[in-house]
Amino acid sequence: MYAYDTYDRTMVDIRVAEFRDQVERRVKGELSEEEFRPIRLMNGLYLQLHAYMLRVAVPYGTMSGDQMRKLAHIARKYDKGYGHFTTRQNIQFNWPKLSETPDILAELANVEMHAIQTSGNCIRNVTSDQFAGATADEVADPRPYAELLRQWSSFHPEFSFLPRKFKFAITGAATDRAAVKWHDIGLIVKKNEKGEIGFEVLVGGGMGRTPVIGKTIREFLPEKDFLSYMEAILRVYNEQGRRDNKYKARIKILVEAMGADEYARQTEAEWEKIKNTSIDVPAEEVARIKAFFIPPPLEVLPSQVQSVDDFAKKNFLFSAWLKNNTNAHKVSGHVNVTISLKPHGGIPGDATAEQMDLVAALADEYSQSEIRVSHEQNLILPHVALNDLPTIWADLDEAGLGTANVGLLTDMIVCPGLDYCALANARSIPIAQAITRRFDDMKRLQDIGPLKVKMSGCINSCGHHHAGHIGILGVDRKGEEMYQILLGGSGAEDASKAGILGPGFDEHGIVDALEKVVAVYLGERLEGEEFLSTYRRIGAQVFKEAVYDAA
Amino acid sequence: MTLLSLTGIEAGNWINLADGETPQEGASVLVPLERLVAGASVLSVIAGSLGALVPTSTAYSELADIVDKLAFVVIEFPVFGDGRGFSLAVRLRKDFGFKGEIRATGPVTPDQALFLLRSGFDTVDIINENRIGAFETALSRYKDFYQSDYTGSTSIAHGRGAKSVQRIAS
Repeated sequence: MYAYDTYDRTMVDIRVAEFRDQVERRVKGELSEEEFRPIRLMNGLYLQLHAYMLRVAVPYGTMSGDQMRKLAHIARKYDKGYGHFTTRQNIQFNWPKLSETPDILAELANVEMHAIQTSGNCIRNVTSDQFAGATADEVADPRPYAELLRQWSSFHPEFSFLPRKFKFAITGAATDRAAVKWHDIGLIVKKNEKGEIGFEVLVGGGMGRTPVIGKTIREFLPEKDFLSYMEAILRVYNEQGRRDNKYKARIKILVEAMGADEYARQTEAEWEKIKNTSIDVPAEEVARIKAFFIPPPLEVLPSQVQSVDDFAKKNFLFSAWLKNNTNAHKVSGHVNVTISLKPHGGIPGDATAEQMDLVAALADEYSQSEIRVSHEQNLILPHVALNDLPTIWADLDEAGLGTANVGLLTDMIVCPGLDYCALANARSIPIAQAITRRFDDMKRLQDIGPLKVKMSGCINSCGHHHAGHIGILGVDRKGEEMYQILLGGSGAEDASKAGILGPGFDEHGIVDALEKVVAVYLGERLEGEEFLSTYRRIGAQVFKEAVYDAA
Repeated sequence: MTLLSLTGIEAGNWINLADGETPQEGASVLVPLERLVAGASVLSVIAGSLGALVPTSTAYSELADIVDKLAFVVIEFPVFGDGRGFSLAVRLRKDFGFKGEIRATGPVTPDQALFLLRSGFDTVDIINENRIGAFETALSRYKDFYQSDYTGSTSIAHGRGAKSVQRIAS
């Protein structure tokens, strides 16, 4: 993991002092709410429906056991004993007091964490593959580049007042677990024929009310030119992105308007002028950062452990967990364990302080003190020996963290919705809870197989409904909460936009509609065919007939 | 209005030239960009030094033909969140090598002081003079930065290479 030096440490300490001063000026009335708003947002502080919400960055989704324990402490001391992990790999606290937020930031700074640029019209926390550095299928660990981006984008003098928020995602794997094509800038780490590292650069992806899949503007950007090229992309956007209408201000609208080829041309032209200036960091700095991400020295172990297999044979839930919640590690005899934060009947992405403490303890004992957050709102122990799995599962299960549903229908991405959010049109959490109660049978879920359901409580699409194999979108129709169903989206390397199937349903009808969609799939699928493939093969019509005609 | 120098240079003195008005010979005048584009050569012959009042909506390419005639530029922020002003200053320094004074005017806030300085602004026209202290505090707050910039600062990344840095145990 990256560790702060005196520069990084000083930066967050000053930031805390600065924010304390800003809060005091606001309280004294020296700052108007209008002026304070962008300041608090750039420190991750939102005003929600019922209270302030503080969003803390987990840079590229990687944290230590100590950092997780600090989050648990903050949940206990300053909040109501829980936190919410988000699709941006961050954590949100829902009930902090304004006057206490500088103290929270000071506590975070003690464990090298912050809330810098987790909101506002600036470059946000960079997200990445939750298995980065620990998965067999990657070209290179993307996190050193995410850390370079974190530093370069922090308090950038030119890009702190962009037309709109700006999100980066980076992956180093062929399997895209970071939804890079759905980001303002998506980056895929590649190696050329000489074995040199570079990046495929995509721009103009985004969800919101206008879903757009990002377009590649550079097939291979050499590592040494990384930051100057990003600066060129941002400068074009900062100058030309729309500022007259916040709904048309994201880079995706600009890229669509001028065309990806023209965006690439302008970026290249600008980059030619700046690529030899001191924007890119010296090679020694890249090497310094990479050294923090050298894989931990795991012992190469047998890829099968008899005692684990025997336990799985006797215990169906453990065998399901082993199948669904573990992923191949690059070192034999190890796995990445995904801890589901989607217990049936629970609130997706929420974890209590006690659960956070347990995960921290398990990470310390079994996973090199490392924890990841996924954009699918789960937690990961990235470096676990097979032999330790039964013990870990038992501990997790006892704490309500043993649900074996990762990648299955009930492992939904869900936004906070109208229960918390000032923008929402409809509640999301109760719908998610109703769905998990309807599909509570693990055997049935496993039979349905890999299926990504994603739900948003409004068109801003924080719940990624456009990218769901099945998406659910909450809307307000004459004061009534209604839910539309969308099919065929993907957030992976085969990214696609989901299409609306037809008119919406009320909160009970949407669960029935989902069940009908699943029934059509089960009836139509070929041997071993997953939901998305079936949908792409047979199209929407069969689903539409089943959902609407039978009603 | 109170003038604050970010870079330490002495803030220039000039007259805002009214619409249709001709400058006194040898005077320093600030003229809206639009008018300069229409008749810069005439004005520059008469005036001692010439400045352009540039709205943030200006594309930097609009300055290309005129920048050589300018002694100073005032970038006018309609709202403090209009970040185009920062890129304009960067372009003036970087693309045109502009050495004259660049001033920010409009409702910029103390919390933007370092961003202004680091993007290439020399001076700020502060609307509320009670805030001058807050601007000064903000200016001296951070000493090191993650980016190189147009004040000549090198980035932290470059600094790390230059000297051995005490690591903090975590």
